[in-house]
Amino acid sequence: MATEKNYYTIDPEGKLTCMKCRVKLVKGKAKFMYLDNGFPVELPVCPKCGFVYVPEELALGKVLSVEKALEDK
Amino acid sequence: MIIEERQSTHVYRQKRLFTKEELEARESLCVHEQPAYCNAACPLKLDTKALTAAIAAGDFNKALALYEKITPFPHILSAGCEAPCEGRCKLCSLGEGIAIRELEAAAVSYGESPRKRGLLRKKTKKAVIFGLDLFSLFLAGELAKKMYPVTVYCAESDQDSLIRAAVPNLPARVQETVAADLKKIDIQFEYSADPVASYTGAAKKYDLICASYEVAKALYPGLEIDEAVMVCREHNLITGKTEGVLGAAFGAKKAALSADRLAQKLDPSNTRGEEGSVETRLYTNLDGVEPSSRIPCDSRDNAIAEASRCIQCKCDECIKGCAYLQHYNKFPRILTREIYNNVSIIMGDHMMNKPINACSLCGQCSVLCPNGYDMAEICKLARENMVYTGKMSLAPHEFALMDMVFSNDEAFLCRPQPGFDNCKYVFFPGCQATAIAPATVRAAYLDLCSRLEGGVALMLGCCGAICDWAGRYEMYEDTVKFLDEKLESLGNPTVIAGCPTCKKQLSRHKTLGIWEVLENIGLPEKAKRTDKPIAIHDACGARGDSATQDSIRRIAESLGCVVEDTPYSGDKSPCCGYGGLTQFTNREVAKKMTDKCLERSELPYLSYCMACRDRFAREGRESMHLLELVYGTSADHCPDISAKRYNRLGLKNELLEKVWNEEVNAVELGFTLEYTPEAELMMDDRMILKTDVIRVLQNLRQTGEAILDEETGLTVTRARLGNVTFWVKFTETETGYLVHRAYSHRMTIQPR
Ligand SMILES: [Zn+2]
Repeated sequence: MATEKNYYTIDPEGKLTCMKCRVKLVKGKAKFMYLDNGFPVELPVCPKCGFVYVPEELALGKVLSVEKALEDK
Repeated sequence: MIIEERQSTHVYRQKRLFTKEELEARESLCVHEQPAYCNAACPLKLDTKALTAAIAAGDFNKALALYEKITPFPHILSAGCEAPCEGRCKLCSLGEGIAIRELEAAAVSYGESPRKRGLLRKKTKKAVIFGLDLFSLFLAGELAKKMYPVTVYCAESDQDSLIRAAVPNLPARVQETVAADLKKIDIQFEYSADPVASYTGAAKKYDLICASYEVAKALYPGLEIDEAVMVCREHNLITGKTEGVLGAAFGAKKAALSADRLAQKLDPSNTRGEEGSVETRLYTNLDGVEPSSRIPCDSRDNAIAEASRCIQCKCDECIKGCAYLQHYNKFPRILTREIYNNVSIIMGDHMMNKPINACSLCGQCSVLCPNGYDMAEICKLARENMVYTGKMSLAPHEFALMDMVFSNDEAFLCRPQPGFDNCKYVFFPGCQATAIAPATVRAAYLDLCSRLEGGVALMLGCCGAICDWAGRYEMYEDTVKFLDEKLESLGNPTVIAGCPTCKKQLSRHKTLGIWEVLENIGLPEKAKRTDKPIAIHDACGARGDSATQDSIRRIAESLGCVVEDTPYSGDKSPCCGYGGLTQFTNREVAKKMTDKCLERSELPYLSYCMACRDRFAREGRESMHLLELVYGTSADHCPDISAKRYNRLGLKNELLEKVWNEEVNAVELGFTLEYTPEAELMMDDRMILKTDVIRVLQNLRQTGEAILDEETGLTVTRARLGNVTFWVKFTETETGYLVHRAYSHRMTIQPR
């Protein structure tokens, strides 16, 4: 079985807590969408409410560069 | 209000930017690639400009290589060429033109040609020439260069007499050097032959038959020659009559090309391309060029000195003045072609989107270019085209567009002067003046109200330039309609614009600049006198509006300013980097534009557009707006993006209370917000408004959605506001929040 491609993976390593659900975030599957293009990733996700955390470095790094590339498509 | 983002990168809608004719009409205006005057004059197509540059750089070998490209006999040509190029030299109009033929001779004297390596294979078709004159000698050389085996039947008995016969008028010194040229060329000479008598027997052994004009005439009295191709078609004979050294060289070149065609059994007129000298449409600015005299090229150093007088004619008028063209290092013709192609791309990367959006649309090029090339028109049409086809992403322009929406919605104000139903005037200060200098706008409005008859209404808002620049033509139409309705509700008063761009944008109405009004009614008593020397920066919005430019200068001088003239002022003024939304789409280019404005003078800058004033101050230059002097008020020093909004809203509320006695209810947040200094700087840099942060935290209070990061001790929350997700990192305080960091992204994220 082919392994599904992930563009990016971050493991919260137990350092992030969902304030609403009072549980630790876990590495979970998520998907970025922009201009009708999807990118599967693994990010810290709350196992209860599904809050997906996008860290600052990711937003200003990889996410921004992909956005810019798509904006010129 | 949300501006809709384009649906997808997979859109296949297309619209041509120009017809082929429209494209060519634009491209042909750019003369940058036109040949230099000297190059154009040379029928042999010598790259004279490059040869001169090579000698100026001391590279005689390169100069010789260029020269050897156009002739097999550099010594003969450089000694005797009539040099029509010299009369066309641009320097002739000032003093003495470049001694081009002497420089060619210097290249031949001091340059060394590399030993030819790797022999090309000889062609199978054989050429013969009957009779020797300068034309046929050149022709023999040209044919040998083309690798035809060449045989010459001549009456002369040896090489020395042959050279003397072919080039009788050359100095003895040069005649000797021709022997050196001949050594390098593979020509078979049949000496002491009777060329006319030999013709009958020998001609049929060859494929390409050539003759000197004398021999041809003797063979066929009354023969007809097509001089354009140097061929007598009736006898399939390559020949012709030429005059002078250059004439012989050019005739031989034409004849050699005919030989190629005949060798391929084609008509000699077939596909010859452009031959001979050409007309050039080049423009060369001689400003700052001093007249100078010829230096005899009697030594290497003197030749270098003479070549160094050459100004290397070119047209780069537009690029000299424009930071945008310099940044992309492309001339308008190339840029236009690439933009045209970019617009035609259906799928894949659009490499020119950035340049299309980085132009300040200021129109400076259309003034600097001798032919009025207008990149602003092209870039703006391209933007509108991309908006139409759904290829324009919102990201580069969204902040500016939302700022305009703010100006014309939340911060918009339209009121007649108290006591008037209809007003004779309406003051329209412009969005940047209210954002950057609210106190000045207030002073100006109160002054106009007190000194003008017939009532002065006030309209705080955006003239529509922002969406016009962004290419959002539908939004622009809506804005025009909105403003026109508001003006109608005031009884269509005369607009007193505080900004030259607004004045231009609103010119469909009767419009005056506030500077014209002030000149008319006189400056207020408290106007701030100064005797400072200042440099005036003309706004790009006032390009072509000399009345405004002059009025500003008169007012500045009447206030005591000593106005320094700078290059690139008036209609030639560059944009500060705000125009065309460059400030939002490309900070790097915008900064270069500002620097370009500031490099013209060390003095404090006086401007009459608040955007210019603000950008110059940000680069550390003492900078003021004319109205600050007139009203003795100071603009805010480099307000951040949130302050610029706060100023607009604050001015509106203040005037509503003080002038119209309307109560303004402050919105209670229910919590307090503080920002670390780092957060404030970060937010300004990342284009995140304090109002964005407020909405994110309001969302938190409704949903309770947040993450605690143990490592930093900061809590993180987020909200999707329109097309952007904003994240805020904060700690709680007793009464609210302390914001530590903020960031954003446009992508959406969801669990899967
Ligand atoms: Zn949760």
